[in-house]
Amino acid sequence: MTVAASTPIALRALVDPDVADERVLLGTQSDAELTDQLLGVVLHPPRWISRALVVTGFGSLFLFLALAYTITTGVGVWGNNIPVAWAFAITNFVWWIGIGHAGTFISAFLLLLEQKWRTSINRFAEAMTLFAIVQAGLFPVLHMGRCWFFYWLVPYPSTMQVWPQFRSSLTWDVAAVSTYFSVSLMFWYLGLVPDLAVMRDRAPERWRRRLYGLFALGWSGSSREWSRYRIAYGLLGGFACPLVISVHSIVSMDFAIAQLPGWHSLIFPPYFVAGAIYSGFAMVLTLMLPARRIYRLENVITKNHLDNMGKMLLLTGCIVFYAYLCEEFIAWYGGDEFEMYTNLVARPTGPYAMAFWTVIFCNCIAPQVLWWKKIRTTPATLWTVTIFVQIGMWLERYMLIVSSESRDFLPSSWRLYRPSAVDLTLLLGTMSFFLFLFLLFLRCVPFIPISEIKETKRLLREEVAHA
Amino acid sequence: MREGTLFEFESPEQLLSAVVALRALGFARLEAYTPYPVPEVDAKLGIPRTRIPIAVFVAAMVGCAVAFAIEWGTNAYDYPLDVGGRPVSSLPADIPIMFETTVLFGSLAAFLLVFVRAGLPRLHRPIFEVDGFESASIDRFWIGIEQSAPIEDAVRTAMTDLGARTVRTLGSRP
Repeated sequence: MTVAASTPIALRALVDPDVADERVLLGTQSDAELTDQLLGVVLHPPRWISRALVVTGFGSLFLFLALAYTITTGVGVWGNNIPVAWAFAITNFVWWIGIGHAGTFISAFLLLLEQKWRTSINRFAEAMTLFAIVQAGLFPVLHMGRCWFFYWLVPYPSTMQVWPQFRSSLTWDVAAVSTYFSVSLMFWYLGLVPDLAVMRDRAPERWRRRLYGLFALGWSGSSREWSRYRIAYGLLGGFACPLVISVHSIVSMDFAIAQLPGWHSLIFPPYFVAGAIYSGFAMVLTLMLPARRIYRLENVITKNHLDNMGKMLLLTGCIVFYAYLCEEFIAWYGGDEFEMYTNLVARPTGPYAMAFWTVIFCNCIAPQVLWWKKIRTTPATLWTVTIFVQIGMWLERYMLIVSSESRDFLPSSWRLYRPSAVDLTLLLGTMSFFLFLFLLFLRCVPFIPISEIKETKRLLREEVAHA
Repeated sequence: MREGTLFEFESPEQLLSAVVALRALGFARLEAYTPYPVPEVDAKLGIPRTRIPIAVFVAAMVGCAVAFAIEWGTNAYDYPLDVGGRPVSSLPADIPIMFETTVLFGSLAAFLLVFVRAGLPRLHRPIFEVDGFESASIDRFWIGIEQSAPIEDAVRTAMTDLGARTVRTLGSRP
């Protein structure tokens, strides 16, 4: 089966394995050469990386300063007010946790669907997930006010004789986010162990062989180990698939269960999940495209990868667009005057109209250029689209939270919201800290799965032989 | 593998034919070491399918039960709280956390069992002493015959004919 290169039918290749499997690996390197190329990212790091680590590390200092200020003084230093009590903290939480979704989505769903193009990017995406959840977790804990009592969320027999209220979606959040982090970490580490063993066996320096040997846990690559590994990795993938869906569904229930106009909507779980995968894929591309160029990884992250990722971005973007339309339609069709006011008047024309229209442009209009293959496979244009999506998805959560809270039922309780300098520092600080952790990962860990690439190479070679 | 003889091959295909040949010669305690999974070799080596899935299923069910026990025990039994007349024990509200712990316990079991069943983590394994064995994680495919007696020359020749590049012995045999 062949699909014309210029066919703008993006969805076709998603269901057409012949096209999806095309050109996921280029070149005629031997296994040893491929191993050395992929280890090279750690053994011969580019010179800029230490400078970049210093810069992002310095940026992260501001995060810690803002954290210290918030914790010692209280959340009054934020711009939050009543009725806008969620504001930046929850916006950032939802944004970061949404970004985290692509990692596990790529790893788990594409693993179970046996998509070979997953191999080159899965570890990258999983690491991004982990670091995004770290940033996300910060905000609800801070938002509690007295964050040193965070352990009250855990059901333990205390002298106060009270328990968490499990009929509240906020306790579901705790279970969902902590499980998501733990499972993502295990999934990532299990995939990493064979490559840590490669590092142990191939690193020139003794200290490095010792260090990576420690983390490789004594992996020898015996058939018995591999056979358990394969089964367990598949099981983790199977667990992770519904988990991805559940996490953002549960996050969305924090909103949907509330009575507030603009939140009280059944569409939220699927709408949030699509949005999460959308922003996550955008973040993977935002990080991957520069790394691909700098580390000269065009042979393992081919144009085919960019094409597929671009299609996923387009697909999820269209789902998000559809969800917006549904939201507006149901607000009108439902006939509830508060819902109608929030969705049809306050958001498009109210004080946060700017955010609303930017969201529409960034999330719905901008990604439509991805219908053209040329744009999907040109790194610069694809990267630009991902930046629009990042901005759009952050503003979407901001708009959703702030516009609903600032104008609820009674006009007498309406109040506008403006973020404070501490709010902005926290947001920019987490971005910096995220990049810092990510650069550290690029510096220390072979970020393209070496053994999986070699396995894929063998499978592709066999396919060619059969054909 | 503690003692025995190891052969190094260049491709998974050579490895497979060597395993078949060794099994035909009557060697039962064989182990292959490969840089990536070669699923075909499992059957040829006679490795039974792992029972990890069963353990994972049990762990997942335990996780589910633990979550329900905590939710019911705290909110319905120990400290029932009337919130707007809603039932104190309500399964729909309990399901999200039950699902999450099911996943958590199952994943933990899968993750840990991969290592525990292989006797890992371990700081040192005798096989790492073998000269050149590092290549097993790069691009070479090793077969180990686990036996304390030396290997006959006929077997060595057979392996060399099948493409074995090097032969190494492991263990404190004189």
